[in-house]
Amino acid sequence: MNGALVTFRKELLSYCVSPVSWIVGVLFYWWRGLELRALVDYFARYRVDQELLPPQTYSLGSTFLMVVLVPGLLTMRSFAEERRTGSLETLLTAPVRDGEVILGKWAAATAFYSLLWLPSVLVLHVLEYGPFLAADLAFGPVFAAYLGMFLLAGMLLAFGCFASSLTDNVLLAALLTIMFDYGLLTLPRQIAGLLGEAAQDWRVRELLDKFDVMRNFSEWFARGLIDTSQVAFYVGGIAFFLCLCGISLAARRIG
Amino acid sequence: MIRVRDLTKRYGSFVAVERLSFEVGRGEIVGFLGPNGAGKTTTLRVLTGFQPATSGTAELAGMNVASDSLGVRRQLGYLPQEVPIYPDLRVIEYLRYRAALKGVPAKARAGAVARAMDKAGIVDVGHKLVGHVSHGYRQRVGLADALVANPPILILDEPTSGLDPNQRRRIKQVVRDLANEHTVLFSSHILGEVQEVTSRVLVIHRGVLRADGSPAELVARGASRRLRVAVRGEPGALASALAAGGIAADVVVGDGLASAVAELPAGADPVPALAAALAARALPVHELRVELPTLEEWFHAVTEGADRGEEAAAAAQEAGR
Repeated sequence: MNGALVTFRKELLSYCVSPVSWIVGVLFYWWRGLELRALVDYFARYRVDQELLPPQTYSLGSTFLMVVLVPGLLTMRSFAEERRTGSLETLLTAPVRDGEVILGKWAAATAFYSLLWLPSVLVLHVLEYGPFLAADLAFGPVFAAYLGMFLLAGMLLAFGCFASSLTDNVLLAALLTIMFDYGLLTLPRQIAGLLGEAAQDWRVRELLDKFDVMRNFSEWFARGLIDTSQVAFYVGGIAFFLCLCGISLAARRIG
Repeated sequence: MIRVRDLTKRYGSFVAVERLSFEVGRGEIVGFLGPNGAGKTTTLRVLTGFQPATSGTAELAGMNVASDSLGVRRQLGYLPQEVPIYPDLRVIEYLRYRAALKGVPAKARAGAVARAMDKAGIVDVGHKLVGHVSHGYRQRVGLADALVANPPILILDEPTSGLDPNQRRRIKQVVRDLANEHTVLFSSHILGEVQEVTSRVLVIHRGVLRADGSPAELVARGASRRLRVAVRGEPGALASALAAGGIAADVVVGDGLASAVAELPAGADPVPALAAALAARALPVHELRVELPTLEEWFHAVTEGADRGEEAAAAAQEAGR
């Protein structure tokens, strides 16, 4: 696993010095700050229950940005740039397994994504000690929500790595991931709408619910409920897309 | 250290390398020569494990590239043709990263990086961003990367391409200095360069090995030689002497001399017979010598010239049907 660790460190350093990462971070926190101001104002005015916090938070545009746009922007360079510049050849002729390289790159993207979320913990501090909530903040649901976001991001970033391994065009890699992320967020509900009556069948409903990421968040993670089948869904998704990425690199070797 | 047997690499219906076989011994520096598109890079990519062969085997340090790719890569330093390095890292950071990736222990890493930088002559740019150093330095950073884990085998794919003469000289000197410690396979399409650096040359053309030997040997045995003779006397007398020596050539007159140039078939040595014929006719000899072709001419003969020969033979065969 030395190769994965070395790749992780190098990639994390690259994220930290990349202008794209800084632009994403600044945009996210600028937008987040504006939204938080509106949210705090709302809570201060109405002194509502914490129950209302999750739906309010997940409907924020910055969350949408972090789920739909950011995974694509972070992972677009991971393999596409290496293919474009030719550095993939030096990387894959080093004594390191393809799987270690993939794991290192994915872990670095997930770690940097998590770092982007980290300052939002300060928001909880403000909410807990400010005169906004009717009762003390319950940290269980907060932990579950962060876990859910981490798992979802892990899966989307794994898809991003896979998309990036398919092309040497960085923008195309980003677009593929953004389209996938947007589809994952919106398609289950659109499909349910299109199916009409058929969507009421419990088997169809269960399948669609499983893929309905927003519903998973608002009804499970945000309430502090961690369903192992959902955890398995995201972990399985991560493994599936990382394996696809490995196949894509192997196919590239065969030429 | 390197053993290749019947190596073939196809991309769809295109055959990039066909039944290539050669061996490189421990400590040898071997030039891998061929025109652009000959199959050099494809062969090197198979040897480094970047791409699998369609058929045949390649062994490095006794390990099969296909079945023990990781083991082979641990014995190998590779400099690709275009040196792709991350521009946002400093040279020293890049080499530390590569040393770590290649499994150099943490305690030995600083020393290994310093040694590689010293050998490649890049100590003065160690703290510059890779994106800010010149092409020549970048090439040398790539060379330092190949050397950093001190591998026994080095594969260098056109290490001097795109460099100015001074930079080329520096790289060639570095490669020559590696001779005692490493086995080096050095690809190039520039003949003089290979001749200066290596003691043995493999010539590949259209994916097929065309020659294997020292430059002097190959020139001596591979291509036709030229006889040059000039005498003070009648052109008819020279023509009759040439005929007596079994040499077919046209005699020309100029500057008071009768002279002739003839292509000699491989293995032929008509000089003693010709000298005797000239002496019998009492012709004062101004010049009598056999010229070896230059390495450039020889290279042309085994690549482009051979193509033309094959095409002519095929056309003759077609016409005969």
